[in-house]
Amino acid sequence: MSQRAQQIAQLDRVIHEPARLTIMLILYGVSEADFLYLQREGGFTQGNLSGHLAKLEEAGYVEIEKKFKGKVPLTVCRLTGAGKAAFSGYSQRMLGLLKSDGSPG
Amino acid sequence: MKDTSVSYGRRAASYWFADGFPEILFGLALVIMAALMFLWRLYLPKPWIRFDWMIVAAGFILYYLMERRVLDFLKSHFTYPRTGYVQPPEEVPRPVQTVTTLSLRPGPPAKENVTSFQWRTVMLVFWFCYPFILNGNPLGRWAVPVLTPALAITLFAVNRRSEHPYRWWSALILGLTGLVFVWVDVPASLQRPLPLLLAGGWLLAQGGCTLVHYLRANPYPRAPEGVRA
Repeated sequence: MSQRAQQIAQLDRVIHEPARLTIMLILYGVSEADFLYLQREGGFTQGNLSGHLAKLEEAGYVEIEKKFKGKVPLTVCRLTGAGKAAFSGYSQRMLGLLKSDGSPG
Repeated sequence: MKDTSVSYGRRAASYWFADGFPEILFGLALVIMAALMFLWRLYLPKPWIRFDWMIVAAGFILYYLMERRVLDFLKSHFTYPRTGYVQPPEEVPRPVQTVTTLSLRPGPPAKENVTSFQWRTVMLVFWFCYPFILNGNPLGRWAVPVLTPALAITLFAVNRRSEHPYRWWSALILGLTGLVFVWVDVPASLQRPLPLLLAGGWLLAQGGCTLVHYLRANPYPRAPEGVRA
């Protein structure tokens, strides 16, 4: 296996999925966001977002807190320390791959 | 999916200003400070009058300490859950270069924070009103006509590329309001609180219009969300 193929194989598959990458990207740029905001920003359906958040929570990358804002239920999502580190590592690895020889741009 | 040509952090920061509450709250604080200053000068004995700057100092300190909590309360009771909830990042230096590259923005990373409002609007208003607050205002009755347009231009220029830019015509209105006082003579008791009143009224109007527009553009969702996972 070539070095590049090895690097690709080492990419975090939990984050690599486009919908989860979008969620991680949104949450990395903010302190915390609720379900509705993520749904609007990412263009997800409710079920789709629930499923992906569950996977990210299971991996320990996202923590989900349920509380109330006034009388309205609020589901707040934020990246954990492990999530930030994983996303940072993923993006560095990805950039390294894209910047290496033969890549477009 | 929304346009992501602007980074998510900056989009979150612009969300913070989307309902106009920051302007409304600060505008209201300025109007209250001006009213208290006016009453102080009207009713307190003369030796106490020159200490009216204490009201402004206390007002700004109180605003600085309470702003985030009050805004959170207002947003949760009046605008949530129309556009969801997001807490934008604070102004803390951190390496976000990778995020910027992935979001395909060619320029340098934007200042993705909400505290910029305190530096670009709150502090500007404070420093422009400072000559009035302390005794010995060197410009006398010309202070309002000179400094209000200057404040309007500075607010417009400084916030031009921020998450909450002011419209040019809105800044023009503030500037022209100040110029009116070239011809209008103001009683001495109202002269010192006047800049606070003008800036506060302008911010209140600005925030009020934004709030009305926001409420009309974002109706209350029929079914509140919830994570089933």
